[in-house]
Amino acid sequence: MASRFSVARAARQLTSSAIRRPFAPITCQRWQATPAQARLFTVTAPALEKKYTEDHEWIDISADGKTATLGISDYAAKALGDVVYIELPEVDLEVGAGDAIGAVESVKSASDILTPVGGKVVEVNSALEEKPGGINKDPEGEGWIAKVEIDGEPEGTLMTKEEYTAFTEEA
Amino acid sequence: MAPSRGIYLISHAFRQCSRFSGPLAYGRKRFSTFTEKLTNPKNRVQSYLSTSDDPCLNLSIEDYILRKSPPESYILFLYTNRPCVVIGRNQNPWTEVNLSILNVADLKQSAQLKETEPPAIGNVELVRRRSGGGTVFHDEGNLNWSITCPRTDFTRDKHAEMVVRALRKLGVNRARVNERHDIVLDQGNKELPVDPEDTHRTTYTLEDGASPRPLKVSGSAYKLTRGRALHHATTLLASPNLHIIPQYLRSPAKPFIEAKGVESVSSPVGNIGLDDAIFRKEVQKQFGAMYAKVGEAVVDFVGDEYLNIPEIKKGYDELKTKEWILSQTPQFTLNAEGPSGEEICVTVHHGVIKSFHFQGAGLSNDIIEAVSSALLEQQMHEISDWRSLLGQHVETQDASASAIIDCLERFLPLPKLTKD
Repeated sequence: MASRFSVARAARQLTSSAIRRPFAPITCQRWQATPAQARLFTVTAPALEKKYTEDHEWIDISADGKTATLGISDYAAKALGDVVYIELPEVDLEVGAGDAIGAVESVKSASDILTPVGGKVVEVNSALEEKPGGINKDPEGEGWIAKVEIDGEPEGTLMTKEEYTAFTEEA
Repeated sequence: MAPSRGIYLISHAFRQCSRFSGPLAYGRKRFSTFTEKLTNPKNRVQSYLSTSDDPCLNLSIEDYILRKSPPESYILFLYTNRPCVVIGRNQNPWTEVNLSILNVADLKQSAQLKETEPPAIGNVELVRRRSGGGTVFHDEGNLNWSITCPRTDFTRDKHAEMVVRALRKLGVNRARVNERHDIVLDQGNKELPVDPEDTHRTTYTLEDGASPRPLKVSGSAYKLTRGRALHHATTLLASPNLHIIPQYLRSPAKPFIEAKGVESVSSPVGNIGLDDAIFRKEVQKQFGAMYAKVGEAVVDFVGDEYLNIPEIKKGYDELKTKEWILSQTPQFTLNAEGPSGEEICVTVHHGVIKSFHFQGAGLSNDIIEAVSSALLEQQMHEISDWRSLLGQHVETQDASASAIIDCLERFLPLPKLTKD
């Protein structure tokens, strides 16, 4: 567990430096870990890069920083097994960071989908109501769950793809 | 109620009374002790037994355990419910349950049903649990076991395997875990050599689909949260109601409803024929042994008085709402033909009626229009019964109106829930 926390802490540092430079190309991520660099920036701006939570959701914030698309990660979709039902949030639902924005059922298991950012649900992926299995096929693309008009900053640890991969290998 | 459990409950209640030293002081101390004990990270292995037979209370205590227990703890919780039908979180009560017979005791009282007509048990509660999976019938002949553990250490089989070890220890050698994570009793006659430690195969296991089919004695359902996993199941020990359970779990409307969500897979079931006190002790023992390396189990009772814990009360009240029981139902469409050839089509999204069509020979279009506009956007959980709802909009004695009401009552009966 201790090692997991340290990963999370490291990830948080990486994340905070990453979101301060929205236009940093992905190939430049390595140097973002340098603490000296991070200290140069103090303002937070929306990230353009897809980020992952410790609960295996992903969040993709639009270029203007106003809306976020949410979904579950490839790793989560594999771990859950065949999804047979997805409970989507209602459009216009106000959510707080950390709240459930839906739930999935797979192999007799109900699991909540949490949102790392608060705001108002503006769109849901209704195609998943017809074909819940779509979330297993392409969880990080066509299988997105909802779009939220952001109110406030994302909460909790957000990781880049690389950090998240390391996190899942650790767990 | 099985005699042994009755005696146990009485002796337990007696023990509680003898320690009783004033309702408030005792009560408060006990609840705060429970929460403290439950949330203390040092208590990595805990084991509780409920003295309550209230299904919603037991489910709410279980949910409290799931949400409050320390991240690295392992918790066993055992309980037995009074007769009830429990549907999974994402199921449709109109397709899964014969809703019109749940309140049979009330019907008998009002002489709508003859005494000799089955089923013979009293009112049966309808409950929607928070975990996934299918519909089950609970009564005093079942033991419900639930285990909450870290999600990183969770598999869908590991605790079913633990219960199979308990059963085999008690001589139930035909017990094994099947591919659906259920516990079944093999019915084959051949004795083939197998590894006695293999909890997925017995000497009586037949090839897939070969008869006689194994009898299911315990199902499984799960709820996964941030960091924690709950596995619960109901094990059939000695239910006196096996012969009438199918009547409760067969809905006459099922062939006419197309529903999203989760459909139950029905299996032949059987009683294990074990005494519940003996089985309970063996499950506790196997649980203790399984996590002996983690720590020594903290053991305690929980019961009806735990409804005084505000968060448990909140969960309990939520489970009792018609909104949760009825309107949580995933989207569905009813498409059926009434007794006189009328056609009815109703679409419901998350408990809200989204479309209504009705047609039949000689029926008044005006009445159908009036009913339709009364029903559209109506929340199912706000309707106490179809007749009184529609009575506010049309003359219910009218032939067209009563044809509609008959069809709604037949295909979409509204169960009387305790909170009505």
